[in-house]
Amino acid sequence: MSKKIFDPNIVAFTCNWCSYGGADLAGISRIQYPTSAKVIRLMCSGRVDPVMVLEAFKNGADGVIVSGCHIGDCHYSTGNYRTQVRFQALQTALESIGMDPQRLRLLWASASEGQQWAEAITEMTEQIKKLGPSPISGRGKK
Amino acid sequence: MGSGESPKVGVFVCHCGHNIAGTVNVEHVAELASEFPNVELSTHFMFMCSDSGQALIREKIEELGLNRVVVASCSPRMHEPTFRKVVEEAGLNRYCFEQVNLREHVSWCHMKEPEAATQKARDLVRMSVARASLLEPLEVKTVSVEPHALVVGGGVSGLRAALDIGDRGFRATLVERTGNLGGNLAKLSTLYPNNEPAKDVVDRMSLAAEASENVTILLNSEVTNFDGHIGNFEVTVKNNVTEEESEMKVGTVIVATGFDPFEPIGYYGYGDSPDIITLSALEEMKRDGTVLRPSTAQPPKNVAFISCVGSREEGVKGHEHCSRYCCTAMAKVAAELREEADEVLMLYDDIRTFGKGHEDVHRRARQEHVIFSKYNKKKKPAVKINDSGIMLKWNDVLSGENCEFRPDMLVLANAMVPPEGADEVAKIFSLTRSADGFFNEEHIKLAPLTTHTAGIMIAGAAQSAKSATDSTTQASGAAAKAVSLIARGEVEIESTVASVIDELCSACHTCVTACPYGATSIEATKGVEVARVTEAKCHGCGTCAAGCPSGAIVMRHSTDDQISSMIAALLSSAFVHGGGEK
Amino acid sequence: MTEAEKLATLSQMSPTQTALVIGGGVSGMQASLDLADQGFNVVLVEKTPSIGGAMAMLDKTFPTLDCSACILTPKLSEVARHPNIELLTYSEVTGISGQAGNFKVKVLRKARKVLEDKCSGCGDCVEHCPIEIPNEFDQGLGFRRAVYVGFPQNTPLVYTIDDENCIKCEMCVKACEREAIDLAMKDEEVEIPVGAIVVATGFELFDVSKYPRLGYGEYKNVINALEYERLINAAGPTAGHLLRMSDGKIPKSIGFVQCVGARDVTNQVPYCARVCCMYGIKNAVMAKELQPDNVKNVTVYYADIRAYGKGFEEFYNMAQTRFGIEFIRGRVGEVAENPKTRNIEIRVENTETGEYLQHEHELVVLCPGILPPKELRVIASELGVDVDSDGYLFVEHPASNPVDTKVPGVFVCGCAEGPKDIPDSVAAGSAAAMRASITLAKGGEV
Repeated sequence: MSKKIFDPNIVAFTCNWCSYGGADLAGISRIQYPTSAKVIRLMCSGRVDPVMVLEAFKNGADGVIVSGCHIGDCHYSTGNYRTQVRFQALQTALESIGMDPQRLRLLWASASEGQQWAEAITEMTEQIKKLGPSPISGRGKK
Repeated sequence: MGSGESPKVGVFVCHCGHNIAGTVNVEHVAELASEFPNVELSTHFMFMCSDSGQALIREKIEELGLNRVVVASCSPRMHEPTFRKVVEEAGLNRYCFEQVNLREHVSWCHMKEPEAATQKARDLVRMSVARASLLEPLEVKTVSVEPHALVVGGGVSGLRAALDIGDRGFRATLVERTGNLGGNLAKLSTLYPNNEPAKDVVDRMSLAAEASENVTILLNSEVTNFDGHIGNFEVTVKNNVTEEESEMKVGTVIVATGFDPFEPIGYYGYGDSPDIITLSALEEMKRDGTVLRPSTAQPPKNVAFISCVGSREEGVKGHEHCSRYCCTAMAKVAAELREEADEVLMLYDDIRTFGKGHEDVHRRARQEHVIFSKYNKKKKPAVKINDSGIMLKWNDVLSGENCEFRPDMLVLANAMVPPEGADEVAKIFSLTRSADGFFNEEHIKLAPLTTHTAGIMIAGAAQSAKSATDSTTQASGAAAKAVSLIARGEVEIESTVASVIDELCSACHTCVTACPYGATSIEATKGVEVARVTEAKCHGCGTCAAGCPSGAIVMRHSTDDQISSMIAALLSSAFVHGGGEK
Repeated sequence: MTEAEKLATLSQMSPTQTALVIGGGVSGMQASLDLADQGFNVVLVEKTPSIGGAMAMLDKTFPTLDCSACILTPKLSEVARHPNIELLTYSEVTGISGQAGNFKVKVLRKARKVLEDKCSGCGDCVEHCPIEIPNEFDQGLGFRRAVYVGFPQNTPLVYTIDDENCIKCEMCVKACEREAIDLAMKDEEVEIPVGAIVVATGFELFDVSKYPRLGYGEYKNVINALEYERLINAAGPTAGHLLRMSDGKIPKSIGFVQCVGARDVTNQVPYCARVCCMYGIKNAVMAKELQPDNVKNVTVYYADIRAYGKGFEEFYNMAQTRFGIEFIRGRVGEVAENPKTRNIEIRVENTETGEYLQHEHELVVLCPGILPPKELRVIASELGVDVDSDGYLFVEHPASNPVDTKVPGVFVCGCAEGPKDIPDSVAAGSAAAMRASITLAKGGEV
């Protein structure tokens, strides 16, 4: 176990219209990035209930990304404003339970931003590698 | 199949030729998936989307009584409709299908890590199997289509579309922001490749549109409000002169909002001398009579053109694209000016006279002794302006020589860029945009006219820079899409809407404020206030469900349980396998 | 429905409710779907055994590198299953008379020797056929039997017996449990009344052997771009392994030669073929993508790079920056083979530097332009439609009426009007459907 390279497990909630398309475009453009993020496709980032994010952490996720259309570009007009507000509340909540808020990221990525998507996943993976496994996952101890 | 039945999941892993199988060990993924909960069958196949792949799915559904199907292949943005149809043909409800994206999200972006990619594929399949087990069949609904199309934009594309819909016997309302029809084409002199006067083209179409009893033209007007669903959109159009607003119902929309000619401020001394003009301005001059040097009102004797002004600029957002029209337009007008001018010079990067008859235009310019010089893309031409006029210096790539020319008029072949107000249009019609700023089509190859918003089509330069011919082709094509909706008279809509569990609702109004469409309201039923969802207004974003503090809102096809099951399926496996296995 | 019943039905079509689409490539397919979706009947005539056209032969598509089969296959099924589309593959239009609203179209049903209503596409017959001949669909690089489908997604999935090569041994007849094979089948002709016609006959590839100096046909490691597409295709003759013809080795260095049979007045192809720059770049990128460790150098020799369409310029940039494809501006003068290594030496002047280059590549791919298909002239004259100087159908008012021929009720789309890429062909297919539907809705009245 101790010899294992830490490979973070990231839950990525994306909206169907912008961010999922951006992630598709990264693949279509053959932009290479780490395998850490596993996408859960929702119609809108506004569908992401803060409870789901906490559930992901509770289950041992090393990181969570919530990704949607840029503010103003939401397919559902204003859904992502909600996302933003909920995200801020979540960051505070994470801090209060002793989880590094860097483990949660909000990413605005449009359907044309494959590069941005790949970069964000790469960056976040690196960041979490530095932070180490989630304290909840039980993998932190050697 | 009833919802009470225990799930029997079939997993079908696609090789997609080499596309997936070249990186992901699909046989192994299929083997692992057979151990996942509720999986009755797990198999793999070369092309799941092929007829034989589809037949395999149908066969297995019937043979094994599968009631949930997971296909692990490409992006659901591509083939979800295909596979939904397949399971439907085998008697399953379309919402009992779940797709895993092993191509765009795995094999194509993790090409150098086959092992890690295979593990990710396994995880994604496990997540989807978990979700699939909880999927519920939903009633498929159809709505009637209002036999009336809205066409936004009165350029050639909008005109062509409105005319075709009208000629086919259906109503079209064309909304144009300015006071004139014809858009940018009306500013041109003659068109390549056949030298037809632009005015003839515009007149032919606008007169026909005005004469058509099926076509209503609203000039000086803009769409200010837009609501509803495919088949039944509610539109508010405001006349900017009278300030009057009118409302109408349409079944479908064609967005043909065109382009703006780029104002090349900061390029090649534009604005510093009256004799440095854009190709669009030159065309307007030609349309209105003769081409005269602005500073002297005399015919120019030495004219230079520079190509790709605001186009093909790598790394410059909104200007990376080729504008597609300019090379041929420039070659055409250069040849025409050569009849009067002593020297006409064309500085270019590549000559892109690609279309029908374009090479003839290019050849004619060379026959007329227009001087073609390829400039250095990395060291673009320099323009200096002093008392003696314009001095143009550049490096001719083909001879390697540094050259100079003193044009008395310099014409900049300016880019086509998305028009002012494109942001608003995108918002109103929920369109996404590509990196060049133009609107995104549903699929860049096979669905260039439809968009991701059902019932809304795009045509012409609204989709990307292009010529009149390519624009009107798209416009007729988009009209065909609109007309088939209207001709069929009804259309299926998504059943993925929100609903309320009355017993759990505390009437806190959170969902009412969260809904972008006013689809939720609080109503008193049997004396108790509870939230209500007006399904026709619900677009299915789920923002209400995410906000509901009581868990009283069920977002169909995206329920809390379905989402949580994916989280659990991913992370429980991490515990078992110790996360990344290396 | 049996063949006889089918022909009887076809001869009784109601002309004001029926359109004819000639050509089952992507443009004709789209035209058919957009007409059929409006509720009109469509008779789609395709001369080969399958619809899908050239797109079915392609491996990937530019500028997104989507696999061609992946995006095309669902369309093939959609056309085949559409209740309003009558698919006549392995058939040819032999005569047309009448006018808008009431054309009479003669269609030759070539004897497929396999009953469409009985064949299930199982392929049990194939292994019993003793004859092996080069597969046209694979550009002759792979083999097929005399009873065959060109490719796995052949639509309709019905086998065809190639009469020319069949030795009538009847092995297949015995093998077929469904008794679907009828070697005595004869060609049949049917006259179909239709109200509007869409011409979507596509293109022919320029024959690159017309440039002897480029070595095609003489040197094994000089191939054309469509052969390359089949080589890198997973369903192709090498199962997608990029190798060279002379020795089966993975080529470490590949040269792509652009504008072969395009923009060349002396070879009667003065026009730009509109697709070769982009498919050339795509194929160059694919070499690097398929064999990132083995293919060291990929060079494209070009005259102008015409990356004009949506996302094209961005793709061209990506090919240089992300994939390291080299671009050299210069028309290739000639090629020669190194007899020992069978490598190909390209002689070219780099017009940007003035250098005279001799580059050795292990594989050279010639990127041919496209031509109007031979039968287009015949169809045009049957229809009374003019062809332009390049041999494509003439359109009088391209800016306002880009798919209208001068004959009322006759429309054109895709490469029959001039070279086009896939999205432009698809858009034109929809446009032709729109225009044809107006003719039908008005009962042929102009």
